[in-house]
Amino acid sequence: MTKNNSFRSLASAFLESVELFPDRTALVVDNASLSYSQLCRSVSQIALAIHQNEQRAYPLAAVWAHRSQTAYAGILGCLTVGKGYVPLNPKFPLERTSRMLALSGCTTLIVGKECLPQLSGLLQAANRSLTVILPEITALEFLASDNPLHRFVFPGQLTSGEDFSLLQASGPDSPAYLLFTSGSTGVPKGVLITQGNVRAYVDYICERYEVDEHDRFSQQFDLTFDLSAHDKFVCWERGAALYCVPEKSVMAPAKFIRDHQLTMWFSVPSVAGLLSKMRLLFPNCFPSLRCSLFCGEPLPAAYAQSWQEAAPNSIVENLYGPTEATIAIAHYRWDSERSPQESLNGIVPIGQVFQGQHCRIVDSHGKSVRAGEAGELCLSGSQVATGYWNEPAKTQQQFVHLPGSGELLWYRTGDLVKQDAAGNLCYLARMDQQVKIRGYRVELQEIEAVLRRACGTDQVVSLPWPVNNGSAEGVVAFVSGVKTLDRDRVLTSCSDVLPEYMVPKKIYLLDELPLNPNQKIDRGKLACLLQGAA
Amino acid sequence: MKPAAEKELIDLVVGWVKQNGLNGSSHAEISGNTNLLESGLLDSFAFVDLILFIENCTHKKLDLIDADPEEFTVVKNLCHLALRNGH
Repeated sequence: MTKNNSFRSLASAFLESVELFPDRTALVVDNASLSYSQLCRSVSQIALAIHQNEQRAYPLAAVWAHRSQTAYAGILGCLTVGKGYVPLNPKFPLERTSRMLALSGCTTLIVGKECLPQLSGLLQAANRSLTVILPEITALEFLASDNPLHRFVFPGQLTSGEDFSLLQASGPDSPAYLLFTSGSTGVPKGVLITQGNVRAYVDYICERYEVDEHDRFSQQFDLTFDLSAHDKFVCWERGAALYCVPEKSVMAPAKFIRDHQLTMWFSVPSVAGLLSKMRLLFPNCFPSLRCSLFCGEPLPAAYAQSWQEAAPNSIVENLYGPTEATIAIAHYRWDSERSPQESLNGIVPIGQVFQGQHCRIVDSHGKSVRAGEAGELCLSGSQVATGYWNEPAKTQQQFVHLPGSGELLWYRTGDLVKQDAAGNLCYLARMDQQVKIRGYRVELQEIEAVLRRACGTDQVVSLPWPVNNGSAEGVVAFVSGVKTLDRDRVLTSCSDVLPEYMVPKKIYLLDELPLNPNQKIDRGKLACLLQGAA
Repeated sequence: MKPAAEKELIDLVVGWVKQNGLNGSSHAEISGNTNLLESGLLDSFAFVDLILFIENCTHKKLDLIDADPEEFTVVKNLCHLALRNGH
């Protein structure tokens, strides 16, 4: 790994904010407010615990925590000792979490108190010895006696947190985080994002939105969603305050925005849609916001306009970017006068790639299409990852060289786009079976693999449904090839291995699946069946 | 607000959730104290559908502007709000 002491790592940026603004609020979570110096103390405790107790040098450590102090201090603790973090989510089925932990290769696991009910299960499933750091859990004798394979670090073994000298130099190639997305083969796919990738993003965003220490950021995304990296690292880069939206307010955060006078908002567009439906989005209801960003799924023009009216002092931007390109790599600023005309089929353009990053729209041979023609969007630049975690075949397939671009590595997004006359990229569709459900990236094949096992037949299809304004609210399944179906048992099997947003809301049993003239399953016809039933 | 009306509305809501909720809701034990989101019986989109159902039942618009999501996602609190401040 490159060692570059002049490189500004994510941890050194945080520590600089600690020095500059020790008494300013760094984090509000779980009804507690932590100043930069207080958060730094927790970070230092965890960093030292990792440093002193890790069983073998490894570039990654896992953080299994959710909307708690440990979640944030754990992430910063990993980064402080030069490790990338692997976020794990207690809302995910244990089997999925266990698989992600195994795939990551981590032997250090930082655990929040909110994961305690599931901890024994995860430890028993672990196939190697782990160092388990539990900063908020009082020593539990049974954990150690029941799990002799693993080493435990409880709060009593942590230092006072005064030792800030632990910062390990991280270079641009050092890992920042490893995230798992849905995989078409049924196994989650890891994307390793480096410190250099995130640095390029954070620098650009901080300048573009003129972030400073007076800002108050929302933290709406789960940590397993890469957009959460924006909230944390952009916020702490400039000494601002991060407000973690409590789980119960995630659906309808209007009151939270007002109560905390947030200035920076970032969420999937679905949140705006939900607030609108609940009549919680009305003119001037968010006067404190100065910057509202949406990403993760197509942004309907109607939502952008409603939000603009709700937050009249805010810019409203549509961001676009796959996990492989680090959070977001293109933006489009909403303009109430101009943008309705520029929107395509009522969907806001994804705009232009960030300055310094590169895009091409190519045909099936990798050649650039003519202006205005549709093609696959390919991305390159300092924000773009170089491949998938331990998946060389998949890496070779998606990270490619394009004709005429020399050694430059391009990531094929699988997104079909076209460029309009104003130079804006407009999203048209996916080229494969990947869909976005409430902003979460989902490979339908992964759901179908689970359904096949659970139903005992190969004749299964999953479809995003319902789809409103270009966004899927959930998924439903069709099954054929069996005479009867125990739906509850099948759904339970799905819930055991898939996150909630991937579990079909309904399963339909058909005599046969409709086929198109090419003898492929006619998904359009299935969608028509759903439309008819609605 | 009449207690009988609130009890009646709670029963209607429980019935709706059993019929329209997510996986396993038809067999779930649902009471006035059930948190509909935390329990996984509804997702946010289904919750919006429930609000529409309640508004149809009460013929009042539910005003959630100053309500705390922590409270209004519990069946009896939601019904209480629907009958109290709807207009």
